[in-house]
Amino acid sequence: MSIKTVSANPFSALGHFLIVSFKDIRSFSQLVGATLVQLFAHLPRKKETFQQLYFVANGSLWTIAFCVTFASIVTILESSFHMKIVIQNDSMVPGFASVLILRELGSVVTALLLTSRVGAGMAAEIGSMKVTEQIDALKMLGINPVRFLVVPRLIASTIGCVILSIIANMVCILAAMIVADQFLGYSIGLFLTAMRRFVDFQDIIFASIKAFCFGIVIPLMSCYFGFNCKSGADGVGRATTQSVVFASVAIIVLDFILSYTFSYFY
Amino acid sequence: MIQYKKLIKSFGTRTILKGIDLHIKAGEIVFILGTSGTGKSVLLKNTVGLMKPDSGEIWIDDENVTDFTEQEFLPVRKKCGMVFQHPALFDSLSIYENIAFGLRKHFSLPESEIKERVEQALSLVNLENVLAKRPGEISYGMQKRVSLARTVVLRPKVLLFDEPTTGLDPVTTNSVNSLIQNLSRKLNTTSMVVSHDMHCALKIADRIVVLDQGQIVEQGTPQELLRSQVPLVRDFLAEARDLL
Repeated sequence: MSIKTVSANPFSALGHFLIVSFKDIRSFSQLVGATLVQLFAHLPRKKETFQQLYFVANGSLWTIAFCVTFASIVTILESSFHMKIVIQNDSMVPGFASVLILRELGSVVTALLLTSRVGAGMAAEIGSMKVTEQIDALKMLGINPVRFLVVPRLIASTIGCVILSIIANMVCILAAMIVADQFLGYSIGLFLTAMRRFVDFQDIIFASIKAFCFGIVIPLMSCYFGFNCKSGADGVGRATTQSVVFASVAIIVLDFILSYTFSYFY
Repeated sequence: MIQYKKLIKSFGTRTILKGIDLHIKAGEIVFILGTSGTGKSVLLKNTVGLMKPDSGEIWIDDENVTDFTEQEFLPVRKKCGMVFQHPALFDSLSIYENIAFGLRKHFSLPESEIKERVEQALSLVNLENVLAKRPGEISYGMQKRVSLARTVVLRPKVLLFDEPTTGLDPVTTNSVNSLIQNLSRKLNTTSMVVSHDMHCALKIADRIVVLDQGQIVEQGTPQELLRSQVPLVRDFLAEARDLL
């Protein structure tokens, strides 16, 4: 069906969109299914998994720490500023900021940064392998590409995302504490007292569950777009962009679903 | 050995292979010639299940492999080696590891024998002192030869070559062509070679098949092709004569 025909008729455009979406969802589900089978059917390739974990965790640590520090500073300063305007009092800022950091900021910002750094890298790498027939070569040598490429990345990304999210939360809280102490007049003791009133242990568990889920989404999306990469540099570029866009959207939607689900437990 | 029956393959609305009927006998060297986009590589990839045909049948060793699953294709791929258009070497592995990769997967050989077979395969493609290097550290031509060694080391019964000499210098091109010929003659390997090179085809092929617009427009021995009146074949022949 030509683009001209599709755009001329809204019904055929809708039909075309639905067919393409259905095909994409079906092949993404097939990849997820194949990954689960390979994940539990064989032991993971240790060397490759550790290499990927190093790439995910160590390679992203400083970028994430740097970015979440500033996100945390902005969060606490903005909260204080607006609370002072609305209720003429910012005494709840330490507790409020701590909850926001643990429930949302730490894990979501970490996942989004991982998507742009690690997810894009994975999509580009697998896309290049597809274009240069390395994936076909793997099949010819009797190697399952999902087991060889997706499983190590999935394990590494999941573990890496949880670890980085915990570190990001700690860095965020530390940054918020310092800013509260230096600029808002709340000592570290006061901050911790307020934090204990607002934050529960389950917040940390829920943040880790979120990070775990985001860690699964990133490599699956990236590998899917890599495997379906069209030929040429343009194809690899497009696969990389699509993987970042779709993984970011998936993370935001998943965050909403998880937050909504967790709200029943508070 | 390999038989295609009314093979059809389309991508979207574009039909690439339009009912290919072809029979390749054991030990034969068949060159598939044609202009770009006529479905030569698609034909090879369909043979080993890297692509699925829309209709028609593919038979290998009296076995219909058309609807084989990935799992069922494993023994077929073990006996069919393929040299891709790109070197398709794994960047994260050394040249030694790239060549030994398939041996480790398919055979339980001691490391000393793996080393011996890797070195033997590399000497077949005239390469030395590259074992410890990574693919990125050697030239494109050398990568293509390593890719050939990686396939040959498994000693497959069928060798599928997708433009094996593209990007190679004339000396290496000749040695690769000789290698294809030697493997076929000495080990009774069946070879299908996708190429644009009529000159080489005339020299070493047992049979030449010419594809145009997804259909076989001519096939025969090199001598028979020299007498062909098909315009595309005449064009290929004229180009080959220019090179002589």
